[in-house]
Amino acid sequence: MTRPLTFAAFRYIVILLATAITLIPILWMASMAFKPIPEWQATGANLTWFPRNPTLDNFRFIFGTSTSDLIVALDRTALKPILSSLLSASVGTLIAMVAGTSAAYGLSRFGSGANLPLALIQLRLFPPMAVMIPVMMMWAFLNFMDTWWGLALIYGIVTLPFAFWLMKTFFDDMPREIEEAALVEGCSRARVFWRITLPMMRAPLASAALFVFILNWSDYLIALLLTTRDWVTIPVYMASLSSSMTGQLYGAKAALGLIAAVPPVVLGVLIQRHLVRGLTFGALKQ
Amino acid sequence: MSPAAKPGPDESARLGLRLTLPAQVLVLFISVFPLLMQLYISLTDWSPLSGLAWPRAWEMWNTFANYTDLLSDNRLWSALGRTLLVMAICVPVEFLLGLGLAILFADNFPGKRLLYSILIMPMMVVPAVAGYMFYMLFQSGGPANDLLSAISGIPVTVAWLSDPTLALAAVMVADIWQWTPLMFLILLAGLVGVPQDQVKAATLLGANAWQRFVTIVLPRMSAIIIIALAIRVIECFKIFDTLFIMTGGGPGVATETISVYIYKITTQDLIWGYVAAIALAILIVLSVACVWAMKRMAK
Repeated sequence: MTRPLTFAAFRYIVILLATAITLIPILWMASMAFKPIPEWQATGANLTWFPRNPTLDNFRFIFGTSTSDLIVALDRTALKPILSSLLSASVGTLIAMVAGTSAAYGLSRFGSGANLPLALIQLRLFPPMAVMIPVMMMWAFLNFMDTWWGLALIYGIVTLPFAFWLMKTFFDDMPREIEEAALVEGCSRARVFWRITLPMMRAPLASAALFVFILNWSDYLIALLLTTRDWVTIPVYMASLSSSMTGQLYGAKAALGLIAAVPPVVLGVLIQRHLVRGLTFGALKQ
Repeated sequence: MSPAAKPGPDESARLGLRLTLPAQVLVLFISVFPLLMQLYISLTDWSPLSGLAWPRAWEMWNTFANYTDLLSDNRLWSALGRTLLVMAICVPVEFLLGLGLAILFADNFPGKRLLYSILIMPMMVVPAVAGYMFYMLFQSGGPANDLLSAISGIPVTVAWLSDPTLALAAVMVADIWQWTPLMFLILLAGLVGVPQDQVKAATLLGANAWQRFVTIVLPRMSAIIIIALAIRVIECFKIFDTLFIMTGGGPGVATETISVYIYKITTQDLIWGYVAAIALAILIVLSVACVWAMKRMAK
């Protein structure tokens, strides 16, 4: 029995190494978020993996309640960008889910919109950068530039393919007997969808919505182009966090990065079961 | 059965139409109008600084000048080459690492669930934040050098992000860190789905682990492998967030990929007529490639 034993040891060594590599960047940022200014750029022998004097100053700083030892004061706090990220990602998710779910049901049950699967894959295929010029022009025309609702609309469209494909595979998998029974009872098609199908699909709907929310929350490029000041999102705001006097505000950025990183990681663990399905457009059901 | 009990085809068709309408409207809204607009602008010298509203861009008509310009735009071609280079290195590395990890996770062992949850974390980290993580790691006095010094015993003080070659390498490390988990996740799902009876039969026939893997497991995973590779190739072509935060495309243009180049000429040079031409060219090439790939896959 030596071979299985060596294999087990080998496996643990490799996996633990991979785990360490996975965690190092995350830990470094998390640790930086709690470091006081003198430790931000400590190098060589002074470099520490954990804060020597842990502090919440970085968090206080980005929320504007303390300028700590930095000579700079923020011209705006992280509160509005967090609100902007939350609003645009949630409403974007709502748009994608409403349009995606109803279209998926329409295709799955009535065969309507047969062009949608391919059209939506194509939408996903193209680099957003390659359509941003007309989008910027349209958004300027609609007065949507630098607003959370303008962002929400484009997020809803960009993540529509995921919402549609996920819900389509869920509807395809769902047994039809209950719907058919309700139809025989004299329910209208619309009523069956609203009162029977949707309530039954509560769990898949929630997973799909969380998945889409993570995607929206992760955006940087679109917000970089469509917001300038009032409604910048967390990543855009984060990139602007530096001062001419002290250079990069390492700790402050790390604190904000930590705030931005937590929701998707937690939500991602919650919907682990459906991640594969979501990422492969339903081609693979775990 | 009364007519009311079973809805006729009319009711179904009408409901189906109504249900798919919002999605159709959104798709039209984001494809037809922007594409026409892009085509129109791309045939002119129009720029938001030109003082003309865009509908009057025809006053700056230049027919195909933008398209002939892009053929001799060296910065564009080297950005394209760099994007393909990043893709050619990152995607295979991510695939091999992901496959290796998936094989190690194929059967049960204590701690599997926890380790799995940790290993897939990077792909959930906001890419811009991941970019910032690696920006910090690769500072000359940062922890990457600290680790390298500890391992090698010699003090390492490399300025990763200000060296053209190393900056590109650092960007690829970040991409591999973030997206290997995606490969791992998808390939593991595929691996678990391979029917075990055939693997067992082959074992009884005396096939060793390697033979079983190559002749039975891999062929059965081919569709999944193609999907995983396709997803990463598509996403890698768009690479922007992490890279832009880490290097901004620099030093110089050393890490400038297609998306970064388009971003820069959109926001700094503001030559939108030309940008529209590049963007349309990319869309056309990608569409052709997509149709070709789908036809090949259908075979």
